[in-house]
Amino acid sequence: MSSLFDLPFEEPRPEPAAAPPAARRVLTVSDLNARIRLLLEEQFIEVWVEGELSNSKVWNTGHMYFTLKDATAQIRGVMFRSALRALRFKPQDGLRVIARGRVSVYDQKGEYQLVCEHLEPEGLGALQLAFEQLKQRLQAAGLFDPRRKRPLPALPRKIGVVTSLDGAAVRDIIQVLRRRHPNAHIVIRPTRVQGDGAALDIARALAAIGRVPGVDVVIVGRGGGSIEDLWAFNEEVVARAIAGCPVPTISAVGHETDVTIADFVADLRAPTPSAAAEMVVARKDDFCAHIDRLAHRVQAAAMARLHRSESRLRALEARSGTLRGQVAARQRNYQSLWRALERFDLRRRLGRVRTRLVAADGRLTGASDRSRHRADGRLRATAARLDALSPLAVLGRGYAVCWNADRTAVVRDAARVADGDRVRVTLARGELDCHVIDRSHD
Amino acid sequence: MSTDPTVKDFEAAIAELESIVKKLEEGDLPLETSLQLYERGVQLSRFCHSRLEEAERRIEVLNERGQLTSSENLKLESEK
Repeated sequence: MSSLFDLPFEEPRPEPAAAPPAARRVLTVSDLNARIRLLLEEQFIEVWVEGELSNSKVWNTGHMYFTLKDATAQIRGVMFRSALRALRFKPQDGLRVIARGRVSVYDQKGEYQLVCEHLEPEGLGALQLAFEQLKQRLQAAGLFDPRRKRPLPALPRKIGVVTSLDGAAVRDIIQVLRRRHPNAHIVIRPTRVQGDGAALDIARALAAIGRVPGVDVVIVGRGGGSIEDLWAFNEEVVARAIAGCPVPTISAVGHETDVTIADFVADLRAPTPSAAAEMVVARKDDFCAHIDRLAHRVQAAAMARLHRSESRLRALEARSGTLRGQVAARQRNYQSLWRALERFDLRRRLGRVRTRLVAADGRLTGASDRSRHRADGRLRATAARLDALSPLAVLGRGYAVCWNADRTAVVRDAARVADGDRVRVTLARGELDCHVIDRSHD
Repeated sequence: MSTDPTVKDFEAAIAELESIVKKLEEGDLPLETSLQLYERGVQLSRFCHSRLEEAERRIEVLNERGQLTSSENLKLESEK
């Protein structure tokens, strides 16, 4: 500070060693500060100064107060709201900057300070820094989160386009869409894409197009240009509008090598506007093929199912036919069997013969013992023979009749059946259904 | 199975078609159900195809006041 006071305030006057008290010029503090201020402001109308930002703080008024320092010195500074707003990056403590401004004095405190008109970061360009800062901020806010990315609609109903009507982008987009999806319904919301206010314009356009009924995907972008031309797409307001767009958004800014903040926030980044249009309709062909495949599989599966049912039906019909035939045949078998059995049931006939024999016996009572004995013997033999002829009588003695499975023939020879054959065995009472397990031949 | 005879959404239609294929191919379903699914599948695939082609060939411009104006000749202008 001492150097300040080395500076003369006014023309130096030779002062006598003992000046009269009346000649003393006494200044008020205000006067002094005002004089100092005038002096400094005249001297430092525009200075460039480099240093490190520290203690920076933006007050409610919108002005920023800070300290600029180097290794050995510091100066207080202020940047008024209007100048601060014009900055694209956010001044942060620790940042090495070059400040342009003037020196002034804050009378109330008797402090001189740098009134900063403009700040630029040292090293990085201001735009580059602004880009990095916004990128970090939005990343921290989660706007780049992959989980936020929405898939594009399989088949867009209406394709929203936010770009300038004067640029190449709108033409490229329309051309590609017309070629790939001739029926595409396109809704364009014209917007400025560069210059002051372009960012806000783009943000408004995004909000508006997101509300158009049926628009289910939006392409936002512009053709190539300098970093300044593309700058609107690095503004936070655009990034927020993309994040807030109710439908999936594709960013398509400049050429393939241009990367903007919009690209990080968008659901999908297209290297160029044409590529964005391709992406929007890319899945149409896939879907055509996919649907054809699905329809074909539905048909094939349904046909297979039908064929399965058909062959089962045929099998059932065949089986029921066989069963009906078997039942009928069996019924016929039973009937003939019973008739046969009745025919062969000789007991009744035997009974009649006996009665006659007994009667004859009675008539023979008077005959000779021998002849009677003979007659008796003949009678017995006859009765025995008759008895033996009756299958039921035989069965009654524990014998059984073995039939073939159909009961159409009696099995007399083990060689006539095979292992596993079914045979039916008639007992005196009831019948058995048997499988041949083993056979032996005499 | 959805019995909704109308389909509003293309993606929903494809999803339903896919599930029908799956059911038909892996499930030993009653014949009646299979045929119902088949009919639904045919309906869905027709819907999808019609949706693929039905979009209106149109270009509209949304102005500052939120009004949509048809602008088919925009392409020609911008191509000059």
